[in-house]
Formats: sequence, C-alpha cells, structure tokens
Amino acid sequence: MKKLVWLLFLSLFLVLVAGCSYENPESASSEPEQSGEEGEGTSDTSTADIIKVGLDVDAGSMDPRLAKDTSAARVEELVYDGLVRLNANLEPEPALATEWENPDETTWIFTLREDVTFQDGEPFTAEDVKYTFDTILDPDFQAPYLSLYEPIKSVEVIDETHVKFNLKEPYAPLLSYLDIGIVPKHIAEKGDVLSSEPVGTGPYKMVNWEKNNQINFEANEDYWGGTPKTPKITYFIIPDNTTRVAALESGDVDFVHSPLSPQDISRIEKNDEFKVEKTQALGFTYLNYNMKNEILSDVKIRQALSHLVNKNVISEEIYQGMDSPGKSPLIPASWAYTDNVPEFEYDPDKALELFAEAGWEDTDGDGILDKDGKKLSLTLSTHSEDPNRIQIVEYLQNEFTQVGVETEVLTNEWPTFSTSLMEGNFDIGLVGWLNLVGPDRAMYNQFYSDSGSNYGKYSNARVDELLEKGRRVSDQAERTKIYQEAAKIVTEEVAYDVLLYQGYIAMYDKNLNGFEIHPTGSLYGLKDAELTN
Amino acid sequence: MMTFVGKRLLQLIPVLLGISILVFLLLHLIPGDPALTLLGQEATPEDVERIREILGLNEPLYVQLFVFLKNLVQGDLGVSIFQDVPVLTLVLSQLPATLELAFLALVIAVIIAVPLGIISAVKQFSWLDYVSMFFAQLGVSMPVFWLGMLLIIQFSVNMNIFPSFGRGDPLVESFIMTIQSGNLYYVIESFKYLILPALTLGVMSAAMITRMVRSSMLEVLNEDYIRTAEAKGVRSFWVILKHAFRNALIPVITIVGLQFGNLLGGAIVTETVFGWPGIGRLIITAISQRDFPVVQGSVLVIALLFAIINLVVDLLYALINPKIKSN
Repeated sequence: MKKLVWLLFLSLFLVLVAGCSYENPESASSEPEQSGEEGEGTSDTSTADIIKVGLDVDAGSMDPRLAKDTSAARVEELVYDGLVRLNANLEPEPALATEWENPDETTWIFTLREDVTFQDGEPFTAEDVKYTFDTILDPDFQAPYLSLYEPIKSVEVIDETHVKFNLKEPYAPLLSYLDIGIVPKHIAEKGDVLSSEPVGTGPYKMVNWEKNNQINFEANEDYWGGTPKTPKITYFIIPDNTTRVAALESGDVDFVHSPLSPQDISRIEKNDEFKVEKTQALGFTYLNYNMKNEILSDVKIRQALSHLVNKNVISEEIYQGMDSPGKSPLIPASWAYTDNVPEFEYDPDKALELFAEAGWEDTDGDGILDKDGKKLSLTLSTHSEDPNRIQIVEYLQNEFTQVGVETEVLTNEWPTFSTSLMEGNFDIGLVGWLNLVGPDRAMYNQFYSDSGSNYGKYSNARVDELLEKGRRVSDQAERTKIYQEAAKIVTEEVAYDVLLYQGYIAMYDKNLNGFEIHPTGSLYGLKDAELTN
Repeated sequence: MMTFVGKRLLQLIPVLLGISILVFLLLHLIPGDPALTLLGQEATPEDVERIREILGLNEPLYVQLFVFLKNLVQGDLGVSIFQDVPVLTLVLSQLPATLELAFLALVIAVIIAVPLGIISAVKQFSWLDYVSMFFAQLGVSMPVFWLGMLLIIQFSVNMNIFPSFGRGDPLVESFIMTIQSGNLYYVIESFKYLILPALTLGVMSAAMITRMVRSSMLEVLNEDYIRTAEAKGVRSFWVILKHAFRNALIPVITIVGLQFGNLLGGAIVTETVFGWPGIGRLIITAISQRDFPVVQGSVLVIALLFAIINLVVDLLYALINPKIKSN
C-alpha cells in the first residue's frame, strides 16, 4: 500500500513537470518588437535597456543630508541635483543654480533653474533650497557633514528663483560643498521618508530597493538635462571585491569601479572584452604621527622614519601601480596641487644619521636604538578590512626593525581602530582620506590645532593662520599660494607622511559607450551612457 | 507530548534571556563607538558626544541593559542606528533568504552524505571508504570562501551556467508562479542563483554528516539483529537500509539538526562571497558599524531558530524510536 502511494505521488509529480513549459516570459513578449525593428531595416546593433553596476556596500540613508557612505553618494548622483555639480577638474558648474554672485564676502546669491520638477511632479522652488540647508544646519538633525556647512549663518528666500546664503565669515570653499542634493520640502517635512524612498530632481528615479541585494532606477523622462539614454540602471550589492570582478567577467554586471583588488585589475586589463579607465581619485593614504608621543614629538625622528619608507615599493609591489607614490596632502586632482614640497627619499643611512642627531643610538648592542636607557619602540596600527594596508604596515615593520626601531604592528577592525585614532590612543596610524574635493577639505580639519580630525594633535601657529586665511580669501590664485605654503610646512614637519595618492579605476563592458569617469567616482555620467549589443 | 513541548518552550525563555544579556554585554565591552561610525571620520568630538547622548550611550551600562530588556519583553527589538528601520522588520526581510539557503544546503549535504557514509561503512577499509573519507576530510578543512571562489570562476566566469552573485526571486514565490503558469522558467531561474552558494555551504556539512553516518552505521552493523536478519536470508540491500540505517539514524538526526543551526550562522561567509542578501551579511555589516540593536536582534532570532530546531530534532527522535517516546 505504502509503495503504491509513493508511486502515485511520483507519477503525479512527473506528469506535472512534463506538462510544464520552459520559456523566459520577458523574451517571449519582447520578440515581436525585435523582429519588427529588423523588418524596418534598422542596423543590427541594438541598445540594451539596462546598465548593471556592481557596488561594494549597500547604501545607508539615501537622504542626501544624512548620507555618508559611498553607495548613498552613488544613489544621490542619479536621483538628486545640487545647486552646483563639480566637474572632472572639481570646479563647480551650474546644476539647479544657473548662476551665482558674491556681492560681498559673506553673501552669495544663487539664481535657480526654472521649470524644474521633482520626480513626484511637484515644482522645485527656492523654499526647497532653504529647507535643505536649514535642516542640515540644525544640530538635532544629525547631518554627518554639518561641519562643512557651519560657516553658513542663514539661507534666505528672495523670490521663487533666488536664494541668498548669509555667511558668518568669508568661506571660499562653500561652492565645492553645494553639490549636496536638494530635497523636496513637501516630502521631507513628513518625517524620515527620504532615507529609504528618495525623491529628487535628478536624471533617474529610484523604483525599488531590496536591501543588501539591489537598487533599481528608472529614467526620469522629465529631467531638465534631457532624458537619459538608458531607460534603467540597477546597482547590485556585491561585497567581495573578487566576486564583483567575476560578475563583470561573467556578464552578470556591466560596470564595476574602485575599490578593487590590484590583482583583479591586471587580469581584466589583459581581457579585450573590457575597458579599464584610470584617473587620480580624491584621496590619499598616509601615516599619521601622534605628536603627543614623547618619541614622535621630535621632528627629527619623524623625518628619519620618513626616510625608511620606500613609497615606490608600496605603490608598485603592493598596489601594482593602482595608487601612485604621494608627497603632500594636496592631491594631484586638486587645483592647488604642487610638486614643490620637501621630499624624504628612501635612505636608511640618512635615517640613522637623523636618529643619531636626535640622540638615539644602539649603545648596548642589542640591535635596538636607545636613549637614556629607553628603547626606540613604536606601534604601527591600521584597520583589518583592507589587506593592502595590512601589507604596508608589515612592510614598514620590517624596514623600521632593520635599522633598530622596535616596531609592533596592531590591526583592528575599523570601529576599534577609528576610536583609537579619535582618542589619540596610537603611535603611528596608517589611514586614508577620501572625497577631498578641495584643499580646505584636505587640510583644515586635519591640521588646524584642536580640530576634530587632527588625531595626532599637530599644532603650528603659521599653519593655523594659513588655513584660516584660505577660507577667507576668494581669489583662487591667492588661495593656491596659501595652501601650498601650508602643505610645505606640514610636509617638512612630517605631521603626515603621505604615502600614496589614491587612484580611481572603472572597468566596464567594451560596448558601454558615452561614459566619462569622474575622480569622485560619480556615476552621474551614466545618464549619457548606452550599452550596445 | 504537549506537556513535553510546553515545558521545552518554557525552558526557552531563560535561555534566550541569557543569550540577550551576553550579546548585549559583549557588544558593549568591545571597543568602537556607534556614534563615531555613524558620523564618519570628519566628525567633531562635540558631534560625537551629542549623538551618544541621543542614542542613550552615555547612560551607565546597567541602565542601558535595563532599557534593552524592558523593550525586549515588550517585543520591541529597537531601531537600527544606521538604517533607521525597526530591527524586526530588517531581520524578517533578510531571514527568508538565509533560511532558503541553509535549507537547500542541508538537502545537498544529506544527499551527498548519506550514500557516502553508508557505502564507506559497508565497504569499510576498501578504496571506496578511503575516497569517501578523503573527500569528507577535504570538505571539513576547505575554507568556505575559497570553495565559493573556485565555483564562481568555474561555473560563472568560465562556463557561464550560473549567476556569480545575488538572489533571484524567492523560491516559494517561484514555485507558486510555476504552478500557476505551468512554466518551469521561474523555479529554475531561482535555483540557478541558489545552487552555487548552497553547494558551497552544503559541502562542509556533508563532510561532517558523512563521518557521522559512517561511524553510526559501523556500530549498528556489528549488532546481533543485523546478523539475524542476514541469517534469515533478507537481501543485504534491505538489511542495510531498513535494519541498519534506520537504527543508525538517531545520532545522524542530531548532527543534521545541529548542522542546520550551524548553517544559519555559517552562512555569513557564503553570503558575503556570493552577495546573498541574508541575515549573515546583515550581522556582519551591523557588527562593523557597531549597530548594536541590529546585532542583538539578529543573534536573538538565530538563537530562537536554533532552539526550535533542537526541539524539532527531539520530537523526531520520538517518531523514529518509540522507546524514547515512552521515556
């Protein structure tokens, strides 16, 4: 009996399976269209209606005022517009503001684009601009980049298409930070809706977000900058660097970009199916010296340690040329960049001389330098998420130890490591800065005495003066001189040892045309891209 | 029976409470500040302080624990610090993906392990036994992420059979779609996404289960009743399957049950490699952001599942071996 029941079940199952068909419902429905096109004698190449992008992390909050992770920025670039947009040279270009004037040092007046609507159909007005910045400036709103906007005293609506920014003091970097997305007041007022359902004026609308999996966008046909060329874009979240590149190779995604593993890049470069584009990114990787450490407070020691770092080896061997050897906090992508800063070339003998000048010698013959009975002992720390950075600290440990600096390596995951930086609980930290859209962003918070991100407690009155002045002066040529002088001082005094200028790399299907890479990693350019089959 | 289940469910309460307190304390003892990770590197110390105050992190630990437990007994797992979404919503949205993955991984593990274990026990010390045990050893020792990578390179990049990452439509939905439309496309598409991660995850469990089936079978095969059955002229196939395997099942079921629990937790690495949107990745991200409520909530849900699986395993014992039922 039992056997009979099983047999019945099995045959029923087989009949069901045999009765089923197998066809892709999407291709079945789109077939007639394709044959029609061919009948009309169009060319053989057709354009894909979707571009698939692989990203490393899921977005946090998609509200541009609260966004702080890179994926949220990638969403913001498609969904929102700022008053300005930074071009590839990081100069502000008109976006929602068509022009601006600076009648006096503390006033900026922006003329807004007319006939712009949000993706829900409501018109964009000056009230939205005021609301966006009022909320950012409200400390209770918890905007992560509040400090960048703090010099703004108030934002006034002059009329529907004009807004006035009143500043507390002259603030030249302001324009660089006004690319932040303008949110619709009528939606944002209702509560925290925009974090997961963003609505902006940008080229694409977000249609759905499957957390940890994918974010889907659809072209905004009413976009003031013209309808985007490709109807759909999907961001897939693929945390593992190697899997992300494998997905590109297998055709599951069409586009991936930094962060990437150096080994994967060299493999894709050899493959004709893909384009690999590189540019300087807006970041650098550096050693942060803690001035509160008794040994490191001596500039000679910091200079000696700099002579032990072979940046070419780090760039070529560890990063395989992906990131280039660095010099100062003014990155090559910046308008204030200079090559003319003090350089501490790799020279262990010179390092030993400097150690000796500072009074450190190996008096007891144990292979470790000492002074007044105290050993020259330091800890090099970094975070464990980045295997390349772990390799750097291990390489440096070897170099330091060879000349007699007892070096301990400490790697912790990011929350632990960043807390130790904030608390000043480190000797030498290997860390990086991203998104340095201007010299103020690269230097003020980092080197101004008592500033929040000045982890090493570096302090120099002249540098403070220059950094203040850099914010007040509006002439770019003069600002360039100011920041270059500041960069020379901090490099000479080795507040940071900038090891690498980070590179930005995008790798994509060779049939993807019209996309221009941007040093911030912006994907706004996808609106002009199309993928031919 | 009902009293047994009721008793076991009651026992769950102190267990889950203990786990909650332990996870809470562990998370608060490790260094790293949610306020700092929330605000990012450019935050000023004043900003960090302000957010700590808002999040209630400046309260003494016992006050924070009390608040957490008070909310917990009211069924409130809190709100994610980073995503501003209730933790329960977040966990429930990711749980089906992990359950689907773990379940298929277990099915694959059992399909591989049971025949291999039986064969290597019956043909003990033969080459079949050595080969099976070699693979079992390999399966246990192989790092999950490495196997995952190999499978992606072979089946996604080189052969282009399966997708390299992500999840298709939920399996249950695909089944319903297939039944409704009579089109196998839906269910096969979902399986395509599932197969590589499930295989990766299943291989390690298969190795453990194979070893358990083998040793349990070896023990039973030496019993008198097996010799009796053979002497009575029962065909050896039926002796192995009905007389030996059924009696060898009890320890096997225990380990299969435990493996299912392990798979839920062990899915973390597999989910990261294959970009599978499950609870493992949710936990990893939450830990790296110090999103305390999400970690606490997710661990609690996994613990609850683990406990339920154990209960089901105990009930299965009774089903297989009536002697246990009477005890």
